[in-house]
Amino acid sequence: MPEAGSERMLVSRIEEGTVIDHIPDWRADTVSRVLRLDKLARMQADVSVVILQNVASKHLGRKDIIKIDRWHVDEKDADILCLVFPDITVNYIDEGKVSKYIPKVPDAIEGRIRCPELNCISNTEREPVTPRFATLKKERLLQCHYCDALLAFDSVPEHVRS
Amino acid sequence: MSPNADFLGRDVVSARDFKRDQFEQVIQGVEDLEKRRGSLDGALKGKLAALLFFEPSTRTYSSFQIAAEKLGMRVSGFAGPTGSSITKGETLHDTLRMFEGYGADVFVIRHSKMGAARFAAEISDTPVISAGDGSREHPTQAMVDLYAIRKAFGRVDGLKVGMLGDLRYGRTSSSLAYALSNFDVDITFIAPDALQMRPEVTQLLKQRGVTAKKESALKNVAGELDVLYVTRIQKERIPDPTEYEKVKGMYEVNLEALREAKPSLKVLHPLPRVDELSTDIDDTNYAQYFVQAAGGLPLRMVLLNLILGGVG
Repeated sequence: MPEAGSERMLVSRIEEGTVIDHIPDWRADTVSRVLRLDKLARMQADVSVVILQNVASKHLGRKDIIKIDRWHVDEKDADILCLVFPDITVNYIDEGKVSKYIPKVPDAIEGRIRCPELNCISNTEREPVTPRFATLKKERLLQCHYCDALLAFDSVPEHVRS
Repeated sequence: MSPNADFLGRDVVSARDFKRDQFEQVIQGVEDLEKRRGSLDGALKGKLAALLFFEPSTRTYSSFQIAAEKLGMRVSGFAGPTGSSITKGETLHDTLRMFEGYGADVFVIRHSKMGAARFAAEISDTPVISAGDGSREHPTQAMVDLYAIRKAFGRVDGLKVGMLGDLRYGRTSSSLAYALSNFDVDITFIAPDALQMRPEVTQLLKQRGVTAKKESALKNVAGELDVLYVTRIQKERIPDPTEYEKVKGMYEVNLEALREAKPSLKVLHPLPRVDELSTDIDDTNYAQYFVQAAGGLPLRMVLLNLILGGVG
């Protein structure tokens, strides 16, 4: 019998897709924003997203979980999540078989985040320029390749490109 | 190895990218040129400089134009967006491609967007020299500034340098701070909080172990400084006009403000000045800004010559 409030009690297994686990409690909305899940659900008619919040967890006490049925989250997006939530894990499920991916802070990020400096060339609509950042891991900062502006890891969700 | 090896075909988009010996090589080149006037004249005969100034400029444009012409280069491009295809909405990318097709050997670019010079350098195989990009950087001005400091003191190491004014939006002060980070100097950023130095600059100084502190008023440090680098409040770069009204005139440097200064203090300013630097300094030993301004032309000649591998 599953524990009251546990994940197993709340939602059944998925056969194909992604489970993002160990999200700090009540922060699933931030993960959803970084992964642009609203857009994904609109574009992919057969993709279902289940968000579990404040679920009992042995390690975290309470945690959030996101299950995405029939969609594999890109590892590069998972790595961006790890900037904000270093403990998250990503489970890919293929035909019921689970493989775990531990996201890692990347050395560089390309195309996924907007520069916080509005006057940066990478925020210029008509120039064919892709935003690029280097990570300063010790300082927990991203640095724009073009204008050198800094962006704190924790502020990344507000700068994910739509 | 060729004496030009560090510079041949090189882009100049940020003072962050240059090491101490490279700054010194450029400055040495200027000092040599002062001793042997005319020695670079015609050194780049037949080459084409494309000066693409997407933002209006008088002084920097003219100094690059005259430098290129003295080197024997042909000059093409525009000194501001008015009358160019930029007003029709042509992008930096397309403009570069077009001038590449015309056979430009070097691009000198000024642009209002931060990072435009690095972007230009990426999309073009032709060397790109930044003549200022937004409020980010102005690397050749930093070389001129270092030249003026070394000319005054015979060295850069061991000096206490104060930078005053609009450090947040002023592109020359960030480039100078990056350049100075290669030397053994103490830096003080003197500005109100709203105009203090940007975090990416202080971050790099910290990484490089440079002593840098922040002050809100010149009077707190005036007596300690060897160099005072004064910058204009960039009205056009402050988004909120009420903020501009609050800070303009707060940081005027005049003889009264320098009452406690060392007699050996040198005042630098990238010019043009507005209210921040009084003309009563002009005829004193403090004034180093006209020497600094005069260094712009030979320095740009030396730099173009190093990048394009001219003789001399």
